[in-house]
Amino acid sequence: MNAWFENALNRAVSSVEQASDALSSLKAASLAQLQQTPWPTRKTEAWKYTSLKALENCHFDSSQPAALAESQQFTRLQALDGLNIIIQDGHIQTDISALKVPTGMTINTLSQLGEVPSWVAEHFGQAKPQKHIFGLVNDVLANDVIVIDVVAEANINTPIKILHQASEGKEGQSRVLVRLGEKAKAAIVEVFMADSNSSFTNGFSEYFIAPNAKLEHYRFQLQSQKAMSAGGCHFSLQSKAKLNSTFVGFGSELSRTDIDILHKGEFADAKLNAVYLVDGNEQFDLHSTIEHEVPNCTSLENVRGIAGGKGKATFNGRIHIHRDAQKTLAELNNRNLLLTDTAQINTKPELEIYADDVRCAHGATVAQLDDASLYYLRSRGVSKEHALVMLNYGFINALVDEMSNEALSEWLRPILQQRFAEMGE
Amino acid sequence: MLEISQLQASVEEKNILKGLNLTVKPGEVHAIMGPNGAGKSTLGYVLSGREGYEVDSGSVTFNGQDLLDMEPEERAREGLFLAFQYPTEIPGVSNLEFMKAAVDAKRKANGEEELSSADFLKKAKAACAQVNLPLAFLKRGVNEGFSGGEKKRNEIMQMLLLEPKVCILDESDSGLDIDALKVVAEGVNSQRDDSRSFIVVTHYQRLLDYIKPDFVHVLSEGKIVRSGDASLAHELESAGYAWLETYSEDGEA
Repeated sequence: MNAWFENALNRAVSSVEQASDALSSLKAASLAQLQQTPWPTRKTEAWKYTSLKALENCHFDSSQPAALAESQQFTRLQALDGLNIIIQDGHIQTDISALKVPTGMTINTLSQLGEVPSWVAEHFGQAKPQKHIFGLVNDVLANDVIVIDVVAEANINTPIKILHQASEGKEGQSRVLVRLGEKAKAAIVEVFMADSNSSFTNGFSEYFIAPNAKLEHYRFQLQSQKAMSAGGCHFSLQSKAKLNSTFVGFGSELSRTDIDILHKGEFADAKLNAVYLVDGNEQFDLHSTIEHEVPNCTSLENVRGIAGGKGKATFNGRIHIHRDAQKTLAELNNRNLLLTDTAQINTKPELEIYADDVRCAHGATVAQLDDASLYYLRSRGVSKEHALVMLNYGFINALVDEMSNEALSEWLRPILQQRFAEMGE
Repeated sequence: MLEISQLQASVEEKNILKGLNLTVKPGEVHAIMGPNGAGKSTLGYVLSGREGYEVDSGSVTFNGQDLLDMEPEERAREGLFLAFQYPTEIPGVSNLEFMKAAVDAKRKANGEEELSSADFLKKAKAACAQVNLPLAFLKRGVNEGFSGGEKKRNEIMQMLLLEPKVCILDESDSGLDIDALKVVAEGVNSQRDDSRSFIVVTHYQRLLDYIKPDFVHVLSEGKIVRSGDASLAHELESAGYAWLETYSEDGEA
């Protein structure tokens, strides 16, 4: 066993011993399972392309956050429309009780709630599959849980921004639980940023979307090369529920995100746009799973990645259509761009179909930048460097354009352009 | 302005241009005609600096500078413009963003300040109107889903914005109906003045009814085998290119 995991297990044991809330039995169950889970190696299928070595001998402090030091981008993000919940190194910094929460919605932390509401106990850990080892760690070690409840038919126009920062030598374990009541509408934005030093962030969120409710969701993991991260977001959709999610991930020494979408009720509709960018010696590993458990649901997944330098990106897109899930419409499209001979992309669509009356399309491509396009831009006077940025950006711009929160896409665009300008050929 | 001397160039080790000479002075319009495979498009690519088009010998001087020593973007900023026969489609990069970057790069190279977005947009709208391109095309990806005629007009629109010194039009008439052809020709004619020069590469005399050349050259097997005034184009139109075979090896007329 490695030092980091051993330390995490020790912390998990004492956390469960001290726990006395309604989640303590859940935590105990997760701990028991964690103790049975071997540390993943490259022989573990779900970790075939991603080494955990960078994390194994690390000792991080999770007891308290560093002082808040904001980048300009982080400050600008807070100024955008919406409510801000700041999480520094896994610790919630915002006084949630002082937030001006729109009518029809409540935001709490588990520690503030005192008594755990029954719905929280019933839902916690139910959208997130138990197979994710870092998810089990997070079940037990998350400092607190942000609990967001949107009542039925509430139409919340104010985006809720959950903004994470990670700083040197720190480990942050954060957890979010969201419930949208029937016909409710809400937008949640999760952003993860970090300073340029070594740190580890493990952030999980779960969303339960009731019949006819609609969630607009964003998760941007814009960490730096040394800021490692694991985590995931997991969605459970009831009948006619609608999910529209945009994911953007930058690579680091270790970056792994798991996204699970569970279709639990008929005529639910999920759309996921995802982008990952790796450079230098970074890697990024995105695993998505869509479970079509019932008939008549639709899912559309557009995933695009760019790898420069010696970067390595992995995408595993699983679509599981259960025996009863007739009339499913599922589409998965993964396109990748390799900028160098030393960059690497591993892409694996994984389709498991047990129903016979479904439409399921998938495609995965890995290509290099088109020389003709580069020449065309240069022939008009645009420098090679600028042309490369424009072409890289163009490759993913279609997905950024589809974001319905325009202020957020305006905030994101220069960050992506900066990222492309820095990416190695 | 542009002096091409004994230019030899090859593509994938195949010799295409075999000692081409051409002198273009300010304000002149030169038409280059010739059969398929004569090297007409290769000339445009070599002059604009496309990768894979190797210059084996000869020289090209542009405004007193060695053109062949410059990167493609430097040639463009210096005032060379190639209107492509088959413009490239680039989804995701908007026409407007592309042209703003191109115009800014040129202005910067000339020591001028970048245009404000509003000023540039005004110019871009005027250029679109001049070539009958709907304004929506500025927002679309470069050439993305454009028809053949729209692509050609988009090339001329770019030319209007970049205000080059030498424009090479590579079969800008191919695939155009007569109305589109007129639009392209009017765009070009509006830019004709004492200092700006054009090299009009075409198969057919038709375009030259609208863009009157000062000189017409016949390109065959990688070199210019005959030169004359505008009447040569008419002669070629009726006689075709079969007579070329009767020319001797170094057959200058």
